[in-house]
Amino acid sequence: MTMPIPGSEAFSSRPVDPSELARSLPSSLPVHSVTQEQVDALDPLTYEVVRHRLWSVTDEMGEALKRMSGSPIVTDANDFDFAISDELGQEVQVGLYNTMLVGAVDLAIYWTLRNRAVNPGIEAGDMFLTNDPWVGGGLHQNDVMVYQPVFHDGKLFAWTSAIAHQPDLGGVGLGSFSPAAQDVFSESLPTPPVKVVRGGQLQRDVADLWVRRSRVPMLIGLDLRAKIGANNVGAERLHALIAQYGPDTVKAVMKRMMSDAESRLRAKLTALPDGSWSATGYQDQSHEGDRNLHKITVTTTKSGDHLSFDFTGTDPQAGVINCTYAGMRGGVMLALLPILAGDIPWSAGGLMRCFDLVTEEGTINNATFPAAVGRGPIGPAWLTGSLVAECLAQMLDRDLELGRNVQATCCGTWDTAVIAGLDERGEQPAPFLNIIMEPMAGGYGARPHADGIDTGGLFCIPMGRVPDVEMTEFLYPVLTLWRREEPDSGGPGRHRGGLGASVAITPHGTSVPMGLVLASAGKAVAQNAGLSGGHPGNSGLDVVARRSRVAELLAAGRMPSDLAEISDTLEPGQNYASSYLAPGEVFAMTWQGGGGYGDPLTRDPAAVARDLREQKITAAGARAVYGVVANGTEIDDAATAAERDSRRTQRRDRSRLLGETRGRADLAAARRLDDNLVEVGDGTVACRHCSETLGDNEEPLALALYEGPPTEAGPQIIATAADYVDAPVVFRQYCCPSCWTALYSAVVPADHQDTVATLGRLTAV
Amino acid sequence: MAYVIGVDVGGTFTDAVLDDDAGTVLAAKSPSTPPDYSRGVLDVLGLLAEQLGRTLPEMLADTHHIAHGTTSSLNALVTGDVPPVGFLTTKGHRDSIYIMNVEGRYLGRSPHELQHVLGQAKDHSLLPKRHALEVTERIDRDGTVVVALDEDEARAAIRALLADGVKAIAVSLLWSFRNPVHERRLRELIAEEAPDLFVALSSEVSPRIREFARNATTIMSTQIGPGLRDYLGTLESSLRDNGLTGPLLVMQSNGGAVAAAQAPATAISTVGSVLTGGVVGSVALGRQLGHRDIISTDVGGTTFLAGLIVDGEPVRDTTTVINHHPINVPTLHVDAIGSGGGAIAWLDAGGNLRIGPRSAQAVPGPACYGNGGTEPTNTDANLVLGILPERGLLGGRKPLSLDLARQAIDTQIAKPLGLTVEEAAAAIYTVQNAQTGDLLRKTVVEAGHDPRDFVLYAFGGAGPAHCAGYAAEVGCDEVVVPLGPVASAFSAFGLASSDIVLAAELSDPTVVPFDPQRAERNFADLEKRVRDGLERQGVTFETVELFREVDMRYSMQLAEVTAPVADGPLDVAAIEDAAAAFEARYAELFGKDAGFREAGIQAITFRVRGVGVLPFSPKLPEIPPAESDATPTTTRPVQLDARLGYVDTPIYDYRELRAGHVLTGPAIVEVPTTTVVVPGGTTGTVDHLGNLTIRRSA
Repeated sequence: MTMPIPGSEAFSSRPVDPSELARSLPSSLPVHSVTQEQVDALDPLTYEVVRHRLWSVTDEMGEALKRMSGSPIVTDANDFDFAISDELGQEVQVGLYNTMLVGAVDLAIYWTLRNRAVNPGIEAGDMFLTNDPWVGGGLHQNDVMVYQPVFHDGKLFAWTSAIAHQPDLGGVGLGSFSPAAQDVFSESLPTPPVKVVRGGQLQRDVADLWVRRSRVPMLIGLDLRAKIGANNVGAERLHALIAQYGPDTVKAVMKRMMSDAESRLRAKLTALPDGSWSATGYQDQSHEGDRNLHKITVTTTKSGDHLSFDFTGTDPQAGVINCTYAGMRGGVMLALLPILAGDIPWSAGGLMRCFDLVTEEGTINNATFPAAVGRGPIGPAWLTGSLVAECLAQMLDRDLELGRNVQATCCGTWDTAVIAGLDERGEQPAPFLNIIMEPMAGGYGARPHADGIDTGGLFCIPMGRVPDVEMTEFLYPVLTLWRREEPDSGGPGRHRGGLGASVAITPHGTSVPMGLVLASAGKAVAQNAGLSGGHPGNSGLDVVARRSRVAELLAAGRMPSDLAEISDTLEPGQNYASSYLAPGEVFAMTWQGGGGYGDPLTRDPAAVARDLREQKITAAGARAVYGVVANGTEIDDAATAAERDSRRTQRRDRSRLLGETRGRADLAAARRLDDNLVEVGDGTVACRHCSETLGDNEEPLALALYEGPPTEAGPQIIATAADYVDAPVVFRQYCCPSCWTALYSAVVPADHQDTVATLGRLTAV
Repeated sequence: MAYVIGVDVGGTFTDAVLDDDAGTVLAAKSPSTPPDYSRGVLDVLGLLAEQLGRTLPEMLADTHHIAHGTTSSLNALVTGDVPPVGFLTTKGHRDSIYIMNVEGRYLGRSPHELQHVLGQAKDHSLLPKRHALEVTERIDRDGTVVVALDEDEARAAIRALLADGVKAIAVSLLWSFRNPVHERRLRELIAEEAPDLFVALSSEVSPRIREFARNATTIMSTQIGPGLRDYLGTLESSLRDNGLTGPLLVMQSNGGAVAAAQAPATAISTVGSVLTGGVVGSVALGRQLGHRDIISTDVGGTTFLAGLIVDGEPVRDTTTVINHHPINVPTLHVDAIGSGGGAIAWLDAGGNLRIGPRSAQAVPGPACYGNGGTEPTNTDANLVLGILPERGLLGGRKPLSLDLARQAIDTQIAKPLGLTVEEAAAAIYTVQNAQTGDLLRKTVVEAGHDPRDFVLYAFGGAGPAHCAGYAAEVGCDEVVVPLGPVASAFSAFGLASSDIVLAAELSDPTVVPFDPQRAERNFADLEKRVRDGLERQGVTFETVELFREVDMRYSMQLAEVTAPVADGPLDVAAIEDAAAAFEARYAELFGKDAGFREAGIQAITFRVRGVGVLPFSPKLPEIPPAESDATPTTTRPVQLDARLGYVDTPIYDYRELRAGHVLTGPAIVEVPTTTVVVPGGTTGTVDHLGNLTIRRSA
C-alpha cells in the first residue's frame, strides 16, 4: 500500500463533458465544429462514402504502424491500436487490435487539451507523446501513445493517435517489469504529454530524453518513428478527405458516426429488461512474496438505455497488480466492444456515452499515484473486463437473439514468462531476451449455442497470434518438447469452454542458466468462470522441472511428453517470481482455457463422443464431469444414464438446502433467465428443467449448496491453491433442489460473496 | 498452322481462347460440367473447332499446347470435398494444425467479420485427430538429429492410418527443410506398407521455415493431389484420344504453367490458377499497349479480384490464405476485395446504407433476374439508373425486370431512408464506386505503391459499368476496358499467353552478412532442381530464364520481403547488394526509415524461379479503323451523377465501333458480355485492338 503523493492528482484524467471542455479552451486554440443541424442534414450517400473513407484512413494508419514497428509484441502479438478522434478527442474510429487501449486514448487527449493548450500550446505540425497511465493513452508505461492535432484553416479539426507496447522503457526490471515492485518508482518513469514533434520536426532533445531510459534505445527510436509515420499517414489522408468533401461534411460525418453508434447501443439496451448483475473476481498474489487474494467486484446496472458499472467494494491497491482509471475503463471496453457492439461500428466516442463508472480511488483498478501499475493491463484491467463480460452475459442471456453474444469467461490473463541468457549457437555467443509468446493461445468461453473456441487467443487482443516453434528455436537457444492443446482444460458445461494449452521448453545451445521471470494469475482461484452452472476452465500452472532426466531421455531416443517422465522434482512457479532455468532442466507452462456454459450433466452425449474422438477431453474427464461412460469413443447410453442419475443423487446427498421450494409452476408463459431458470410472471423464478418454483422477488431463491475441494470442479483444476495463497479456496455449486441440475459452479475463495440466491431478480432501478 | 489454346474452367462456365501464329484469336464459352469438368473442356474445344471450320481432332493435331486453369481443386478445398488423408508429424507438435497459431480464427476474414469476434470460429479443421499421428523423432535448427526416428512406432502409425482408410499421407516434421532424412525414411516405410499410396513430404512440397504453414500446405496438397491426378489423367487421355500430341499444361498460382503429369506432386501450386489468369492476360495486353504499371480488376457477379503489375511484372506473394490457413505457394498477388455485381445493398441497424460484403450469388441473383431475389444489388441499381437496358446484355438471353429491381430498392432502401427509388439507386452506385476505390487503394498502398502511377484495366461482366468511377476515386487517369475478341474470356486469354514457370525454394535461416559460398550452394541446388523440372515438361522453350531471390527480414521485425539476388558465383559484394535491395524494397513498402538495420538482417528463404519461354505469345489482332464518327444506336435517360439526375445519354453498340472512334461522356457502350460506362467529363477512345480507353476529357 502506497500513500498518495500530493500534487500527483493533477495528472489523473477523467472523462469530460465535451461542451464544457470546448468552453475551457483558450481563444488561441480555435476549434472546428459543426451544428446538430449540419449533422442531421447529411444525406445517406455522403455519409456512407465518407464513413467508409474514414475507416480506410484508420486502417491505413494501423497498417503503417504495424509494419514499421520493430517490437515483436506489436508485430507478432498485435498489442497496439490507433484511433481518429474529433477536435475534442472523442474517438470516431478505432482499430481492432488491443481493445483495452480504446478506453484510454481519449483521456490523454482531454488532458492535453486542458493542460497544454496555453503552454506550450497546441499547434499544427505538433505531435505529443505520453506513457503516463494516469493521464491515459495506455494502460501501463510500456504502452506509448504518439498523437497529433490535425488543423484545417487554422482550426483544430481532429486528432490522430497511435499506441504500441514497447519492449523496455527502463526501470529496475527487464522489460520494465519488476515482480517485486512496491510502487511506480521501481518501474518505468511515467511521462506526461510532451511535444515530441514541433512544426513537423522531430525534437532531438525530447527524443533523446525518451530513448535514453531504455535498455533497447534503438528499438524505441524505431518505434517512435513508426508512430510518427502512422500519424503522418492519418493526417495526410484526412486532409485529402477534407479537400474532397469539405471540412463541415467530414466533421458532420464524424459526429454522426459517434451518435449512430451511441443510438444503436442505446436501442439495444432499451430492448432489455432493467436490472442489476454482479460479479467478483480475484488476483491471486499481488507481487513476489505475496500470498493474498485481491478482489475486484462490480455491480452492473442497466436502466433504460444506460449502463452503470459500480466497482465499490474493490480491494485497495497492492503490489504490481494495479491499474489506473484508464485501465478500468479499458477493461470495460474490452468486454463492451465485442459483446454489445460486434455489429455496431466501433465509433467508441459514442459507445462510451452509454455508461458511467462508479469507483473508489486507491483501489486495484483505480489506483492512485505512486502505485506500481506494471501488470495493469494483464492483471486488474483484464479482470475488470472479464467481470463486466460476466455481468453482460447474465444480462443478455435473457434474450435469445442477443444471447448469441453471451460467452462464459475466456482465458483471464496472459501467463507471462521472460527468459534471458546467452545464445552460444553462433560463432560468437550473444545475449538474448524473449517473452514466451505461446500463452497468447488461451481458450474462449462457451456460449449458449456453441462450445468455446479452442486456443482461440486472448479476448482483449482479438488479432493476436503465436509464433511457430521453428521461429522461436531459430531465434533462441531452446528446444520445444511439446506445444499442445490440453485435453480437459476447457470448462465443463452443456457447452464446453475452449481448450487452453501448454508448452515445454529445455535449454538447447547454451551452457549457462537463463534467467526466468514470471508474472501470472489464475492458479489458486479460477479466472475463467463458467455460466449457468458451467464449470470454470482450467487453472494455469507453470512448473520448473529441476534435476530432470531430459538429456538422458533424448539421448535414449525418447521424446518425453509429460512432466512426471522428466523429473521427480517439480517446482510450481509462483505467480510473481524471479527464477532461473538451467541446461538439462525443463520449463512447462499450462495456461487457461475458457469457462463452460450450462450443467455438464446436460451435455449431449454425442458432443461428448465428438470431444473424445477429437481428444478435447479424456475418458476420465468424460466420466468425472460429464457423467458419460464410453468404450473408446463409443458412448454406452445405458451406463451414461445410470451414471448421470447417480451424479444427481450424489449432488442431493452432499448438498445443504437453503430455503424451501414451492411446487411446480406452469411454464407456458415463462420467460428465459438463463440456461436453467425462467421467470413465471411477477418475479417468480422456476427451474426450466423440472418446473419447480424456487422463489420470487422477496426471498433468496431456495437452492441446494455444496462446497468441497477445488478439484471437484473437474480434472482441469491442476494447480493446488495452497501453493499460492493462504486463504482457503473451494469448489462451490448450487443446484436445483428438485431435479439437481447445477445452476452455478465455481472455484472461489471460501469467503466469496456470490449473488446466486438473487439470480434472476430484476432490481427495479 | 499451329494453335495455342487457353482453357479456363470456372465454377459456372468453361472459357477458351485459341490463337494461331497468323494473328487469329477466337474465344468460346460453354457451361462447366461438374463433377467431371473434362467434358466441359471437350465441349468448349469443340466450339473452337467449329469456329475454325475444322474437326476437333484436326484442330488438336495442330495444337502446339493447351494451357489449362481449373478451379476444381480450390473448390474441393473450400467445400471440404476431399478424400481422407493421414498426417505424420513430430511428437509433441501435432496440435500445430489445431492451435493454428491462433490466427486461424481470423485469417482471411473481411474487416466486417474481423470486428465481430463473437461470430468467429476455427471452423475449417484440416483433419480429424485420428488421422494426425505423431512419431518420435527430433531434428534441431541446425539440422542435427536430436532424437532418431522410432521406426517401429512409425510403422504402427502408418498401419493405423491405412487401416482407417486414408487415401494419401502427408508428412511434415519439424526442421525437415534443414534435414529431410526422417521424412524420406517415412516415405520408404509408407511404401513398404502401401507401395502406390500418394505421399507428400513437406521438405519437397514446401521446404520453408514455420511449421504451421508448412504442415497446412503439405496436408492440403495431399488432399487435392490424388483428385488432380485422376482428373488430369482422364482429361489428358481424352485429349490424346482426340488427337492432341502437344503438351497439356496446368496453370499455377505463380502465373506460369506446368506439365499436367508434373502437377499432382505439388498440387497445391495450382489452386490459385483461375485467379491469376486475368493478371497474366493484363500483362500480355499491357505489353501490346505499352503499359507497364497496371491495376487489374476482374469483377464478376460474386467476386471482385484486384491484381497489380509493376514495371511489366505481376506483383508476387510468397504466401496465400485458404480456409483461414496460411499456405506457402508462390503466387501472383490477387486480392478478393469485394463482392461484384451481386453485392447486396442493405440498411444496418442504425439505418445507414451499406453495400456488401454479402452477395446474391448466382442463385437467386439480383432481384431483376426474376429468380426470386428480393434484396437489391448493384445490378438492380444499375438497371434503375438506365446503365443497363431492360432487355439485358446484348449477348444475354434473358430480359431484366425493372419492376422487380425498383421494388427491391424501394422496399429495402428508398422507403426506409425517405428517398425516391432513383435517388436510392444513385446512392448505391456512388457508394459502391467510392468503397471499391477505398479497397483498391488499400491493395495498391499496402504493396508499397501510389495508385496514381497506374493504368487501371477492368474486365469481367460487372467491372466496366463501374470502373471509371472507382478509378477516379483512387486517382488513376486512364482506364482500359479490354474488349475485342477475348472480352468474354480474358482469363483464358491469359492462360494462352502464359509461359512455363517453376519455382524451388529452401529455408536456410541465417544472418547477414552470411557466407556467399553457402548461399551459392543453396542457389546451385535450387537451380538444378528448376532446370531438371523444366526438362521434364516435355516442351521446347525459346529461352529459359532463371531468377534468384531471397526472403529477408530485419531481426526484430515480422515482415519478410523478397529481394533479387545476382547470378552466381556469389561474393561478399553480391550478398551486400541483395541486402541493399531488400532494404530499398522494405522502405518502399513500409516507409522511409522504417527499417532497423542495427538489429541485423536475416535471410530466411532462398528461391529460384525458372521461366521457360514458350515459342508463342498471342497478340490481339488489330480491328478495322473508323471511317466516320461513331453513331449511337439510340439514347436513353441514364443517371450517372446524382447532382445532374437523368440525362438523355447516347448508347453505342460495341459491334459497330472501329479503331479511332471517340465517344464523349456521358455515354454507354453495350458489349455482348458487359456494359461500359463512360461518365460525363471523360472521353472513351477505341484503340487499334478494339479496347475502350477512358480518360478525363482535356
